Amino acid sequence: MLGQEPSTVQNVLAPPAISGRRLVKNYGPHRALAGVDIDVRRGEAVAIVGPSGSGKSTLLHVLAGIVAADHGEVHLGGSRIDNLSEARRSLLRRSEFGFVFQQGMLVAELTAEENVALPMLLGGSDRGQALQAARHWLDRLGLAGRYGSFPGELSGGQAQRVAIARALAHQPSVVFADEPTGQLDSRTGAEIMNVLLEICAETQAAILVVTHDRELAARATRSVAIRDGQIESAVLTA
Amino acid sequence: MNAFRIALRVLRVDRRTRTSALLTAVGVTVATSLVLLLLGLPYAVDAREARTAWQQGAVTSEVAPEEAKALIKTSRDRAAGEIIERMDIALTQHGELPPPPGVDKFPGPGESLVSPALAELIDDQPASVVGERFGKVVGVIGSDGLRHDNQLFALVGQSPTGIGDANPINEFATPFGFADDELELLAGVGLVVLLVPSLVLVASAARLTATRREQRLAAFRLAGATPRQVVAMVVAELAIPTVVGVVLGVVVNPLVRWWASGVPWDGSEWYPADLATPTWLVVVAVVVLPLLVLGAAVLGLRRVVITPLGAVRSTPNKPLGAWRVLALPAALAAFWFAARSGESLAVVLIALAALIGSATVIGPWVTAVVGRGLVKSWRGPAGLLAGRRLHTDPKAAYRSSSGVVLAVFVGTMALTLLPTIEGAELAPRDPMFAASTLRTFTSAEHADDIVKQIDDRLKRYGQQERAVRLDEVVLTDSDGAEYGAVVGRCAEAAPVLGLSPQMCRNEPAVYGMPTRPKGIAAESGDQIKALPTNVPTADLPRPVALIDPELVPESVQPVSSIVAVATTDANRDPIRTAMVAGSAGNQVTSDQDLVLNGSNHLDELRRVTAIGIVIAGLLAGCSAAIATAGSVMDRRRTFGAMIAAGTQMSVLARTLRVEASLPAVIATFGAGLAGVFVGVMLLGLIDSPLELVLSPWLLAPVVVGVIVAVLAASVCGPALRRVRQEPLSDE
Repeated sequence: MLGQEPSTVQNVLAPPAISGRRLVKNYGPHRALAGVDIDVRRGEAVAIVGPSGSGKSTLLHVLAGIVAADHGEVHLGGSRIDNLSEARRSLLRRSEFGFVFQQGMLVAELTAEENVALPMLLGGSDRGQALQAARHWLDRLGLAGRYGSFPGELSGGQAQRVAIARALAHQPSVVFADEPTGQLDSRTGAEIMNVLLEICAETQAAILVVTHDRELAARATRSVAIRDGQIESAVLTA
Repeated sequence: MNAFRIALRVLRVDRRTRTSALLTAVGVTVATSLVLLLLGLPYAVDAREARTAWQQGAVTSEVAPEEAKALIKTSRDRAAGEIIERMDIALTQHGELPPPPGVDKFPGPGESLVSPALAELIDDQPASVVGERFGKVVGVIGSDGLRHDNQLFALVGQSPTGIGDANPINEFATPFGFADDELELLAGVGLVVLLVPSLVLVASAARLTATRREQRLAAFRLAGATPRQVVAMVVAELAIPTVVGVVLGVVVNPLVRWWASGVPWDGSEWYPADLATPTWLVVVAVVVLPLLVLGAAVLGLRRVVITPLGAVRSTPNKPLGAWRVLALPAALAAFWFAARSGESLAVVLIALAALIGSATVIGPWVTAVVGRGLVKSWRGPAGLLAGRRLHTDPKAAYRSSSGVVLAVFVGTMALTLLPTIEGAELAPRDPMFAASTLRTFTSAEHADDIVKQIDDRLKRYGQQERAVRLDEVVLTDSDGAEYGAVVGRCAEAAPVLGLSPQMCRNEPAVYGMPTRPKGIAAESGDQIKALPTNVPTADLPRPVALIDPELVPESVQPVSSIVAVATTDANRDPIRTAMVAGSAGNQVTSDQDLVLNGSNHLDELRRVTAIGIVIAGLLAGCSAAIATAGSVMDRRRTFGAMIAAGTQMSVLARTLRVEASLPAVIATFGAGLAGVFVGVMLLGLIDSPLELVLSPWLLAPVVVGVIVAVLAASVCGPALRRVRQEPLSDE
């Protein structure tokens, strides 16, 4: 259970924010996950590292319910979620999870504030409240004054900040970040990562970051190395 | 934020979505207006009939002449190359006949009411050419009694004694749901031929932004949108242009009606109001059309699962089986059997629909084969790309050609049918008279009076020609076989029969009997009277025998007669005037008239067919062009990368042209061949065998199809330039 090393004494007592048990995922003949166990506790930042094709992103996608595992279970706060319907998983994505992807995955036709407010609006929140919350998060991420900008009008770093704001605005319990700085220069990438880790620590959200970047991984509370679909090692970094 | 708001936002912000929506709206507008027009055609026929049923004359119930309120006869006449319809009416003293629509008061003897167009024609021409046929024009028939204001129609008053052979009536014919089968068939075929390219256009337009939409929807899914919400977004996005298109289609429909009302059918144009679709049908179309478009979109979306990571095809493209190649021969065979077995028209039409459908089975297979060939023989990355595209997704590559294929198929089918029918309609058919001889049929008792009236008028008009009376009788031979014959002096009859008087013998004779005649009767079934033995005979190259009056026994009293006058192009109209007026409105006709009437109808058919094919071709070309542009846009990252890697634009454009046009060109040839085959089979359905006429024009739809396909493919150049100019960052 290398992936289950608790980072602090408090975390040992707290239930995992999200956990995976014996997760197996095959893509045709290729085994992307070969029985992975992992726990991530609230306030913990776990970096998943490994070479290309090792199963990092697949693990993230399986835990987030984006991709269904062939075997194994996923639990959120102690409740099993891998067997939920697609609609229920969508509900989780807009209430309990936040996502930051390499490409940002922003809706090009919506403004920055609308993109951030989107999960709340999809959940039926009042428009005014959702936009107010969105602006609050954009301000926190240094994007005051860019509320009305479309993604195409933002720089890569700014677009990624909007994606972080969107991931955090509805105060998720888990944030999934897949190569969040992959398309940014190292300075901007470091800034983005700092912001993400700071806010997660503050909100006590668990964060899973898939990255190639060892330096970035070193700033997480724990680093899990994965190879050939199996956890190779887990290292406490903070 | 509901789906509708999101759709509006996307439309407001994204130029390409706006373009797609605009094209979708145009496609739906065209489809709606065409559907409304074509659905309205049977009602247009009804509307026409409601106004003009009275022109048909009598109702079916018979009335005793002594009890009739009026005597009428109807005829078709020609003047200045135009067809004039005419009704002669004589009011009796047996009760009041209500006037038909458009007529306030019946014309008295020697008077007439005419349509506005005929009044104009009478004013424009000398009286001997047209005017004198109708007596004194005392008024104009209102629009509510005519097919159209430009219909040439006359209601001519006669006296009961002067009207001659006429039908007694107590009321005019009323509408009885007359169905114009030919027009309804054309409307049905038109609905398929025009609706399919319209819907292909809508589908192509909707596909224009498919990749972008899929990316957007994936982002929504990542943000927590449920699959249902995603479907709602797609529906909302498509619903806006679709509803706008349907509304525009209804708004534009009066313009389309106005334009279509100028296309003549059955000799006349239409009133735009005739072509109005009933409100309930408009409501049905307005509801059903968007549902069809949106339903197709939702069904299409089922093939694509939008995940938070992007779009995934639920059914991966499998290689197309070679069995597909059997679809066309199988459909052709089914059609051949349906056509040959004399099954009902519905079965034949189903077989025809299956044949059209088979194109969508074999077309992608042919496309895949072409693609495989390209993959094997590529000489550069662009060629490889084109080949791969055709090979891996042949259905999508072929889809854009389907409209062109349908238009070419119908075009070649129509051009196989029309010249052959035309050849049959216009061919001489064993004529009795010279083609230009005008004749009228009458009872023998009125024949002398009619001849006199005609001759008096001919003299007055300064014409040399004179009317010839030919009484109809029956001759029998020694075996008792009967032969139709006319009684007349050979020298007088020769000009109207189109023969030289020199062929006439100097003594009374019987001409044109294959064997020596033995007896004569006024009509078939009458008592046969013996002819003199050894009556002189001579040949007559006509399908009727001629007997000199001197040889006819006095006891044989002919019942029916023909009054004929030989004409030339120069004197035909005055002679016709003399005959029509002299016979109190009898039908006056010639073989040439029959040919011209057939030719007029064929002209109408040709015009309607040409309009249909041109519209289908235009729609098909537009949808092919949009689909081509869409396929470039879909792969803009690939092309962008290839351009960045140094691939020349001209090379890419040329290959894309090949990729876009090749399936269409090949399918076009196949559609042309299938169209000829089906045309030939349809000719087999006609009872009388027709000689197949293959005109070089048959190639026209194929050539036009190829040109449309190549032109549509040429849009890939501008699309590529757009790809090069647009930043990829907004994706």
